[in-house]
Amino acid sequence: MSALSDPKGALEGLTRPEGWVLGVSVAFLLFLLVALLTGALGPTYFLFLVGLAGMYALLSFGLNSQWGFAGLINFSVAAFFGVGAYGSALVTASGSPVGEMLADVPVVSSLLGLPIVGLVVGLAVAFVLAILIGIPTLRLRADYLAIASLGLAEVVRLIVLNERWLTNGSAGIRGIPGFFAGWPVFSTFPETMPGLRLEVIPGSPVLLETAFWQALLNVLLVLAFAGAVYLVLRRAHRSPWGRVLRTIRSDEDLARALGKNTYSFKMQSFVIGSLIMALAGVFYTHLNLYVGPGDLDPITTFYAWVAVILGGSGSNRGALFGGIVIVTIREGTRFLNDVALPVDPAPLRLLLIGVVIVAVMRYRPQGILPPQRELIWPSAVDGGGAPETPDNGVRERKGGGGDE
Amino acid sequence: MTVLGYLANGLVFSSIIVLGSIGLSLVYSIADFANFAHGDTMTIGAYAALVTFGAIGGLGGAVLGLPYGFFVALVVGIAAAAAVAVGTEKLIYEPLDVDSIGLLITSIGIAFIYRALVQIRFGSDFTRFEVQPLRPIESLVPYGVRVTLHDVAIVGSAVVLVVGLHVLLQYTDLGRKMRAMADNPDLARVSGIRTKRVKLWTWVIGAGLAGAGGVFLGLFNQLAPRMGFNLLLVIFAAVILGGIGSVYGAMAGGFLIGMINQLTPFFSGVVEALPIWPGWLAAALESLISIEYANAIAFVIMVAVLLVRPNGIAGEAAT
Repeated sequence: MSALSDPKGALEGLTRPEGWVLGVSVAFLLFLLVALLTGALGPTYFLFLVGLAGMYALLSFGLNSQWGFAGLINFSVAAFFGVGAYGSALVTASGSPVGEMLADVPVVSSLLGLPIVGLVVGLAVAFVLAILIGIPTLRLRADYLAIASLGLAEVVRLIVLNERWLTNGSAGIRGIPGFFAGWPVFSTFPETMPGLRLEVIPGSPVLLETAFWQALLNVLLVLAFAGAVYLVLRRAHRSPWGRVLRTIRSDEDLARALGKNTYSFKMQSFVIGSLIMALAGVFYTHLNLYVGPGDLDPITTFYAWVAVILGGSGSNRGALFGGIVIVTIREGTRFLNDVALPVDPAPLRLLLIGVVIVAVMRYRPQGILPPQRELIWPSAVDGGGAPETPDNGVRERKGGGGDE
Repeated sequence: MTVLGYLANGLVFSSIIVLGSIGLSLVYSIADFANFAHGDTMTIGAYAALVTFGAIGGLGGAVLGLPYGFFVALVVGIAAAAAVAVGTEKLIYEPLDVDSIGLLITSIGIAFIYRALVQIRFGSDFTRFEVQPLRPIESLVPYGVRVTLHDVAIVGSAVVLVVGLHVLLQYTDLGRKMRAMADNPDLARVSGIRTKRVKLWTWVIGAGLAGAGGVFLGLFNQLAPRMGFNLLLVIFAAVILGGIGSVYGAMAGGFLIGMINQLTPFFSGVVEALPIWPGWLAAALESLISIEYANAIAFVIMVAVLLVRPNGIAGEAAT
């Protein structure tokens, strides 16, 4: 809004790290554009990456509404992500054990295979799991919560791995339809779109075919998910509810002294975050068309954590930024391997993630894009009634000032 | 296998868990954070021993089925784990300006770096120490106990290390300072204890024991870059069961968790024999108490302990 009406002023108003992030992002976008036009990066694969980035952003939004809002150290991100993914996959996939079990039940069997039912089931299971994990762990001290939630996430992973009758065990689930299967217009959209041939640079044409349109649909889907979640979270963050959560994060005793039932607030924040993580899982299922127990590996949890602490806890745009960085690390290491390095990409990725965590904690523990002015409605500062240069003063006190 | 057999296996596994949990508990009480890199410190010890043993070989004679060279490798593994931990403390943890949660998150990054480096150097496949695999001790087989001389060596070495630590804690100056610091770091500092130095020694002892645990884990099972991380939560379960910050609690917790872990098949046999009604409940219990869920059982115990008695068996900081 302010960026549209007054672009120059908005640019000048950026803090230095914000300027850096903006600059690097623009450079990165240009690089991607060049790669796309020269055919070095397939457009379908590029859209897959965008979808993946959107998914990590969703995951970090979810974690943000737990860690960033209420200060809950949840190390069971992978469990909720996996439950969302498995919930949707088991309902919709052609080869799912659950589908075979329920094939003869009258009404239910007609609902199987519908991704929208999968979405509801995935979220419902995540809701139940969030309550089940939340009840014992949310009363615990911060570091105990971290250990306990990681342990319970491992229990979920072990169950998924070992209960073959329900989850197909280590083989995972295949035969998952795309999210728009069975929808009126969307399901046939990729086939009906014409194949396009763009030739920006002579000799290296860029082909846009069915797979491309399919990927485009997925990107639109994740944008819709992430956009909706972002708006809801932004509203929630500024609401009285969000204010209580921030109070709990900084001083739980104070919140309790003010008469707030902190346990209940923490549970609400935990459940909402878990549902968002499960939503990311549902999207992942229909993007990847395969889920396996490996998706519940703790590393998924730590990817989300890196995204959040890198972006700045409590900051939703930071979460978005973190999500993009994670995908760059995850997929960029594959390219590095193609180019020259004689190193396996898996440990390299792990090393990069570790280095990023340590570097952020060492040099910028508040994250690159920490939330600013988070205790005030922006209109109170931007609009009338506020003093002349209020945001500078607030920023300096928040430690994100221009000299940093 | 008989109950005795399971108990014997439990004793061997417990020794490894105890070695791991003492260090985690020491660091928790003195450096004041949950060190998620502790499991990967074990991995480092194991791989350092692997390299050493590969380089120097057997060196003549053997004790308990293990060549002398293996014990040299064990010492090198302990030293390597301690050196890496001290280096990390000096380089990373000490300059950090964050709270204990920040340290916890940092230690996850450290864990990834350790594991990635091991994996880059050695690949992600399983390997073994080049020692002759032994047959179970003949005289014990009739009782259903199938342990090798290697297992006896593991338990024996663990006992030696644990007793050594006990002597250190109770009868030396450093031990007294460590106990004082675990009790009340501020009071320890104002009474003239050089807390920085004590903290460094804590890292040396904790990581050294972890390194020994890693070497024994490699001897008990196999070596893989993930070996330590996979054990980390089990060790946390042991430490929490014993009471975070208490070394003797960690020993007791490690012993119990190791036993429970190895006794899982026995428990599932017990459940099978019990008259549980209704049938689906019995079936569910039977499938849940199986060897696949041995670790899950430890985690559930951990959460239960946190709920019922957050200070664990031995209580907070009763070192």
